Amino acid sequence: MEYELDLHCQMILDEYRENLAIFEKMKEIVRAQLEKCVADNNIYVTAIESRIKTENSLAGKLELKGHKYKTLSDITDILGTRVITFYSEEVDKISALIDKVFEVDWENSVDKRKALDLDQFGYMSLHYICRIPKSLCYDAEHPEINDFRFEIQMRTALQHVWATMYHDTGYKSGIEMPKEHLRNMNRLAGMLELADEQFSRIRKEITDYRRNVQSLVTDGNFDEVPLDSDTFRSYLTMKPFKKLIDKIATINQAEIYEDNLMRYLATLIKMNFRTLGDLHRLIKECSEDAYKLALHQLSSTDLDILALSVALQNLCLVYIIKKGGGEVGLRMFYDAVFGQSAYNEERAHRTFEQISKINIK
Amino acid sequence: MEVKIENLENKTMVVLSGRLDTTNADKFQQDIAPLMQGDAPDIEIDCTDMEYTSSQGLRMFLMLQKSVTARKGSLVMRNMKPNVKEVFDITGFSNIIRII
Repeated sequence: MEYELDLHCQMILDEYRENLAIFEKMKEIVRAQLEKCVADNNIYVTAIESRIKTENSLAGKLELKGHKYKTLSDITDILGTRVITFYSEEVDKISALIDKVFEVDWENSVDKRKALDLDQFGYMSLHYICRIPKSLCYDAEHPEINDFRFEIQMRTALQHVWATMYHDTGYKSGIEMPKEHLRNMNRLAGMLELADEQFSRIRKEITDYRRNVQSLVTDGNFDEVPLDSDTFRSYLTMKPFKKLIDKIATINQAEIYEDNLMRYLATLIKMNFRTLGDLHRLIKECSEDAYKLALHQLSSTDLDILALSVALQNLCLVYIIKKGGGEVGLRMFYDAVFGQSAYNEERAHRTFEQISKINIK
Repeated sequence: MEVKIENLENKTMVVLSGRLDTTNADKFQQDIAPLMQGDAPDIEIDCTDMEYTSSQGLRMFLMLQKSVTARKGSLVMRNMKPNVKEVFDITGFSNIIRII
């Protein structure tokens, strides 16, 4: 395609065409490095995007401000990459990692987050202009790989949404946009900035809560720990049902398969267990009877494989009977664990009969 | 123990009949080997005529369940006789395999 460019700009465009393969190679290197960076540092990002500026777009840029550039290497966004994070702190983390991996051209990099005045809201993103250092990749036949610069933009998902919507308006800068619309866009930017802050705060609070719970569980302060998915998971790491299942396994010298007990959480909450202390008491007060039930069920069989959940299942069954829940309570338990079915009535009846035959304390 | 496997359009139907115990567990393992292959399998086992399963049988079902889960598929066992269901209940296997 031919464009209405002067000779100087046409030369830059020719240079671009000659070096497209180099930019493709750079794109792969940069993308692979960014993916490695986030994976090695356990950072979850929503996306890593990269693109090479199209010829059409470059021609447009040259038509507008081609005089600013002496050669193609003065244009820093032929290769553009974007890392979109969940949280604002991760933008800083990723920027620090990029500084270690690539050569950052500080003079031309810009933190748009800081470019805004205290009373301004708008485009928030961190833009680094970088080069691939020779230590990362060097090809004597293509030294341009280390000469051409490229841009990495880093921003949160919400900042990205705002920037994308802004771009969709078709205005390149706030100056062009009618004031009323600009004000509305900026109000949204302020709101999203607040939302970003809140998401970070919530994440920190959840992390603190989990740390606190872990230490309460480790210290054995079970009555202070509410029963929820985090605390139950922590509690299970202490293998609280091991003693009971090991004892049950001795009945037939059984092998134990450690199945996931998390599926019991909703049932335990339905049964009114509110803290880990309640669970701890369940084990303390019902283990003997839960074992007796297993003994009654298994001793006349040669079944020598058991799921760990048998321990918790039997604890719950004898607890229900001890609390006077009767056959109806057992049926409700089975409905909660396995989902409602007509067979649960039969199950409950059979279990009730079995528990009636053992001497529950 | 007899094993019939039928590949339907959207799932694999397995029909079991007889007793599954140590005497035929090896053959059963060979019979169900085709079920251990393929992506996201949707397997339904009809146990209407299954008379009994021993621990060896439970081990095979556990192996199948693990394999199906690893391949992001699903396994359902249906129409079990009460004595077979009891084996699954008292060993905790009802917590591992979906029984309807």
